[in-house]
Formats: sequence, structure tokens, C-alpha cells
Amino acid sequence: MTWISKSVTGLGLLFLAHACYSAYEHSALHSTSTASLSSTAAHTAITSTSSSLPIDISIETLVAVFTVCLGLVLGTPELRPIQWRVWAGQIEREGEAGFTNIDGQVDKDYVGNPFRVLESRPGFVDIRKQRKEFAEWVREGGGIDEAKKS
Amino acid sequence: MLTERELQISPTVQESVLHNTKVLTTLHNLTASLFGVGAGILGLESYPGFLFYFLFSLLTSVLVYAFRVRPGIIKEAQSSGSSGMQRYFRGSMELWTGGLIEGLSGFVLTWTLFYGLVRA
Repeated sequence: MTWISKSVTGLGLLFLAHACYSAYEHSALHSTSTASLSSTAAHTAITSTSSSLPIDISIETLVAVFTVCLGLVLGTPELRPIQWRVWAGQIEREGEAGFTNIDGQVDKDYVGNPFRVLESRPGFVDIRKQRKEFAEWVREGGGIDEAKKS
Repeated sequence: MLTERELQISPTVQESVLHNTKVLTTLHNLTASLFGVGAGILGLESYPGFLFYFLFSLLTSVLVYAFRVRPGIIKEAQSSGSSGMQRYFRGSMELWTGGLIEGLSGFVLTWTLFYGLVRA
């Protein structure tokens, strides 16, 4: 997608520069020709330069603006769902692949599953079993003393 | 506007809201100065210039809707019930009229600049 948007934007900018130069040249030519033709009627010359741009330059400008606009829209990063359930579902289904930017790298502000800590935590500790083991160890006379003697 | 109760029932992700708003704002700022260039080349004055800006901003929003919002809605509609614009924005006006005021200053700036450049 990235080269499409860049090439479309570049093409539109090229058209826009050409249209701008054409309009500039037209206005310069028009003002000099009308000034040489009628130096007395200066008022009409001013009004005619501001109103008469050739139709092809106008169309080229409009097409160029639309093309650059299209290229910029194509270059925007993907929007993200704001509802928590949709967003979490997308993370579960697609993982990091759903949050890559145009260059194919994972976005910097991608946080991933916010409950990852909860999913990888250890299970509950069976405290009664541990107490039973401790009681057996005490009943046998304490492991450390025996270990020291033997 | 969402009430607190609705927010508790279906919570929103603040990072995604920020990301979407940032994308839209950047796009509107860029395109607004571009439209200024176009309006300056065309030599528009007063109301037609602002009308040009509003029309092309609306066109930008339509393009965003067609290329960025619509595919997500279609993809979601296959998996579950459709929810429309609520997937990406808190309200539909956020897309259509969100960047109009922010881009206006940049538009006027480049509009006057290119009007002066072309008709020097």
C-alpha cells in the first residue's frame, strides 16, 4: 500500500506544480499583453486578469488536488476500534499483525493484551497441603538437626 | 454523549481514541494547506474560497470513510452484528466535521500565499 500512496501523492504534486506554473505564466502574459494593448483602460485590465483563468488549468488544479488528497488518505495508518470488546477481539485474533503500520513494523504504541500478566501468573498455592507437609516434617523431628547429625 | 452507565457496559479504549483522533487531525492539517494551494491557484476570493475548502474537506472525509472506515465495518459485519461508525469514533460527527476548524488557519495561510504568488 505504501508505494501506491507515495506514487499517487507524487503524481498529484507534479500536476499541482504544473498547474501553478501555468497559472503564473498565464497571469504574467495576460497582464503584459493587456497593459500594452490598452494603457488607458487600466481598470478593465485588472478586473479581467482576476476573473479569466483558462478552463484546462482549472481542471488540472482540481484533479491535482483530488489526486494528492487521495494519496494522503491512502497513506494514513489504519484506524483502531475504540470499543474494548472489538479491540480485544482483534488482538486475540490477529496479535501483532493487526497493529502494524505502513512500513510493516509494529506500532510503537502497541500495548498488546492488557491482561497478559493475569494469564501467565502462577496458580493458587495449596496452603493446607503445605501445612500438612510441614507438620509431617516436624513430626519426624525436624530435618535440619538430622541433617546436621548425619 | 455517552453516559457513565453506557461506558461501564461497553468500555472504550483511550489509546485507540487518541490514535484515531491523531490520524484524522494530521490528515486534515495536511490536506487543508493543500486545498489552500488549490484555491490560490484558482484565484478564488471570499466566499467561493471557503466553499472550496468545505467541499474538499467533505471529500476528504468521504475518502477516509471509503478507504479506512468501510472495510473495517464490512469485516466486522461478517463476524458479528454491524455497529457502523461506532467502531472507530464516538460519534459520526467526529469524522465528518472533526478537522474543519483546525485546518482553517492553514488553509487561509497557503491560500493567501499562493494567491499572491500567482497574481504578483
